[in-house]
Amino acid sequence: MTAPAPTVSPAPAAPRPGSADPRGGGPARLWRSVRVPLLLFTVFVVVVVLLSLGAERFPEGYLEPESVSPDGTRALVRLLEEDGEVEIARSSSDAADAVSDAGDDVVLLVSLDHRLLPEEVERLADLDVDTVLVQPSLTTLSAFAPGVDVTGRIDEGAALVPSCDLPGAAAAGEAGVGGELYTAAGDADAMGCYPSATGDALLRVTGDGATTTVLGTGHPLTNGALAGHGNAALALNLLAADEVVWLRPDTPQVGGGSSLWELLPSGVRWSVVPLVATLGLLAVWRGRRMGALVPEALPVVVRAAETTEGRAGLYQSHRARDRAADALRRGFRERAAPKLGLDPDASPEAVVAAVAARTGDDAVRLRGVIYGDRPDPFTADDRSLVRLADELDERTRKLR
Amino acid sequence: MAVTGRAVVVAVLAVVAVAISGVMGAWVTAIALGALVALLAADVALAASPRAMRLSREGDTTLRLGDSATVHLVLANPTRRTLRGWVRDAWPPSANAAPRTAPVRVDTGERRRLTTTLTPTRRGDARAAGVTVRSIGPMGLAGRQRTLSAEWTVRTLPPFHSRRHLPGKLSRLRELEGQHTAMVRGQGSEFDSLRDYVPGDDVRSIDWRATARGDGVVVRTWRPERDRRILIVLDTGRTSAGRVGDTPRLDHSMDAALLLAALAGKAGDRVDFLAYDRRIRAQVRSSGKGSQVARIVEAMAPLEAELLESDPAGMVSTVLGTQGKARRLVVLLTDLNATALEEGLLPKLGALTSRHLVMVAAVTDPAVGAMAAERGGADALYRAAAAERTLSGRRRVTAELRRMGVEVVDADPEHIAPALADAYINLKAQGRL
Repeated sequence: MTAPAPTVSPAPAAPRPGSADPRGGGPARLWRSVRVPLLLFTVFVVVVVLLSLGAERFPEGYLEPESVSPDGTRALVRLLEEDGEVEIARSSSDAADAVSDAGDDVVLLVSLDHRLLPEEVERLADLDVDTVLVQPSLTTLSAFAPGVDVTGRIDEGAALVPSCDLPGAAAAGEAGVGGELYTAAGDADAMGCYPSATGDALLRVTGDGATTTVLGTGHPLTNGALAGHGNAALALNLLAADEVVWLRPDTPQVGGGSSLWELLPSGVRWSVVPLVATLGLLAVWRGRRMGALVPEALPVVVRAAETTEGRAGLYQSHRARDRAADALRRGFRERAAPKLGLDPDASPEAVVAAVAARTGDDAVRLRGVIYGDRPDPFTADDRSLVRLADELDERTRKLR
Repeated sequence: MAVTGRAVVVAVLAVVAVAISGVMGAWVTAIALGALVALLAADVALAASPRAMRLSREGDTTLRLGDSATVHLVLANPTRRTLRGWVRDAWPPSANAAPRTAPVRVDTGERRRLTTTLTPTRRGDARAAGVTVRSIGPMGLAGRQRTLSAEWTVRTLPPFHSRRHLPGKLSRLRELEGQHTAMVRGQGSEFDSLRDYVPGDDVRSIDWRATARGDGVVVRTWRPERDRRILIVLDTGRTSAGRVGDTPRLDHSMDAALLLAALAGKAGDRVDFLAYDRRIRAQVRSSGKGSQVARIVEAMAPLEAELLESDPAGMVSTVLGTQGKARRLVVLLTDLNATALEEGLLPKLGALTSRHLVMVAAVTDPAVGAMAAERGGADALYRAAAAERTLSGRRRVTAELRRMGVEVVDADPEHIAPALADAYINLKAQGRL
C-alpha cells in the first residue's frame, strides 16, 4: 500500500462489504440470519401441535351415530356393527345408493327426516326396503305408511309394555318408548305395540313386500337410554339385518349455488386481469432503483473513555471498594504532592506531615484517610467509601 | 427496463375499460393488455440507448472537511434520438451528494452539464460509484436504464481548525526571531550578518575585527537558528481510534500536527511527516525550502486509525533508519496510554533520545477528567476511582517520559494544537532544536 516515495498518499483500502466481517461469512452468516425465524416457527408448530392434542372432537347431535354424548347413538351403532354392517348416510341420495348397493337383508333407518325435501322423502318411500322411521314428520308418515296418523303424545321415554305379537317387541319386553302415538286406519295391514291411552308407540305397517316400522321417539336408541328397560333389545331387534343404512340427513344448504363473484358482471370479473398487470407496473414503477446501492467502509469509532468506563463497571459490579479507595487516595496524593512542593516519590511520612501542616489534621488520622489503615474502616461498605471521598475532597479544598 | 407513473395511469384506464365492457369482457381484456404491452414495448424500443451516452467529468478534486465541492458531469448524446429521463450521479453516502437524481433532456448530438454538490462528512477519498442513466421513450411510458462508469475521486482534506491559532503563534515566533535584529548572541541563535552600527545597538555586539577592516563601526546580528529538521510522527494505531468528544483522537492529532508544520515551515525549519502503526501509512519528506503543509495535508487525508497495536520498535527503527543521521526534533503524536506505552514505547525510546530530541504530544479526554470529579453515591465513586486510575497511569507515564528527557505535551482537544506550537516555540527560544 505504501512505497517510500517522498509523498505517499495511500489509496484508501476498499474492503468489500462483508469481507471485513470478523465473524465469518457464508454459511455461518446465513445460519445467523435464519436461526431466529426458524426457532420461532418451530415453537409455533410445537405449540399448535400440543394444543391440538386431546382436542379430537366427536360430532354432536341428537341421534348422531358418531356422537358419544347421551343423545348420540354411537353405542347402538357399535353393537350393530358387531353383527352386521352399518352404513351411515348423510343425505337421501347416499341412503338410496347404500340401499341399492346392499344385499337383500337390509334395514333403512330414517331419523331427523324433517330435514328432507318432500321429493326426497318420496324417493326414499319408493325404495323396496324395510324401513324404521324414528319420530317421522306427517309428510314422511303419509309417504311411507299411508293411513297411519299421529293420535297422541305421552312423556318422552315413558316405559310401556309391548302387549303385542311383534316378536322383537315381545322379546324385548318393557321399553322406554314413550313419545308420539300412532293409530292405523282400519284397512291398513298394521300391527301396533306398546299401546297407551290414545294410540301405539310402535307401529309396523306391512306394505307390498316391505315393512315400515314407525317408532314414536328416538329416545330408546340413544347412548343415555340404551341400557334402560328393554331398550337395547328392542333397538337391536328392530334393526336386525345384515346391513343397516342409518340415514341422518345433514342440515340442507340454504341459498342457490351462485356466489357474489358469480353475480358480478363479467366485465368486472375480467378487469382483475388488467388490475394485476397494473399492480405489477406500479410495483416496477416505485420499486425500480436508480442504480445499485453504494457501499462504504466506515471506520470504527469508539469513545476514548470506553476502557475507563469499563473499569468503572467492573469496580461497581464487584463492589471493589478497596481498589476504588486506593485509586481515590492515589489521585489525591498525586495532585497534592506538587502543591506541597513534594517529590512524587516522597515517603508517606513526609506527605502526611506536609498535608497535616497545611490542614491542621491529626497525623495518625490523616494517614488513615490518605494512605489507609489495615483494616481500613473506609472500605467497610459503600457509605464509608462516600465518607472517604468527602474527607479527601475536604483536604483538597483546604490545600487550595 | 423501467416504467413511469404514466404507464400505471394507462394501465388503470385499461382496467376501467375492461370493467365497463360487459359481456365483451374477454375480448376487451385481450385487446387492452395487448395494447398496453405494445405501447410499453414501443416506448422501450424508441428510447435513446443509455449505453451509448458518453460521460466525462470536471470539477473539484479536493476540499476541506466542512466545505462543499462541485463536480460536473458532462453527458454527450451521440445517438440519433433525443435522450429524456433521469440521471443519478452516485457517490458514497458520507459524501452527501445532491441532487440525488436530476431530470435530463439531451437532444441529438448535444451535451449537457449536470452539477453535483458534495458535502462530505468524512475525511478521505470519495470515489464516484457510477452514473445511472434512465432513458424514457417518446410517449413517457417506459424506458431503459443503464449504470455507466465515470471515474472521479474527490479527496476531503483534514479541516485544519487550528489555523486560527497560526497568526498568534507566528507573531510570537517573529518576536523571537527578532525584528530587534541586534539580539545578543546566545544559545538558539546563530550568526546572521554584519551591518553598520546605529545608535542604540548593544556595544557588545560590535565586531571589532570587521570594524578595523572598514570605515565605520560594524555590528554582528544574530538570529534564531534556522533549517532545523522536524519529524512529525503520527501514531495511527488503535489508541488513535478512540473518540474524544465527537472526533477521533487521530483527527485532533492531525490538527495539532498541521499547526506545528505550518509554524515550523514559516520559521524556516524543515518538516517531515510520517504516519505509522505497524508499517508506514503515509510519509512526506521535505525537499528543500518551502512549506510542506499542503503535501502533509494531502498525505493525511485518507488516513484512518487501524485497529492494531502500534509497533514502537518498528517506528523507532524507521525513524532512525530512513530519515537521515542529523539530529532532529521528533514529535510523536500518540496517546499517553499507560499500558501501551510502558510495554511498547518506553523500552525502545532510549535509542531515539540518544540521537534526537523527542517530544510526545497526546490529547487528554475531558470526559475522564469529568468522571474523576463525579461525586454523590457509591456508583459515582466507582466511576471516579476508575477515572483516577486512568489519570494516575497517565501521570506515571508522563513522569517516566520526562525522566528520559522527553518533552511531553498533554492537553485537551481544544488546546492540544496551541500547546504543541508553544512547546515548539519554547524549544526554539531555548535553542534546543
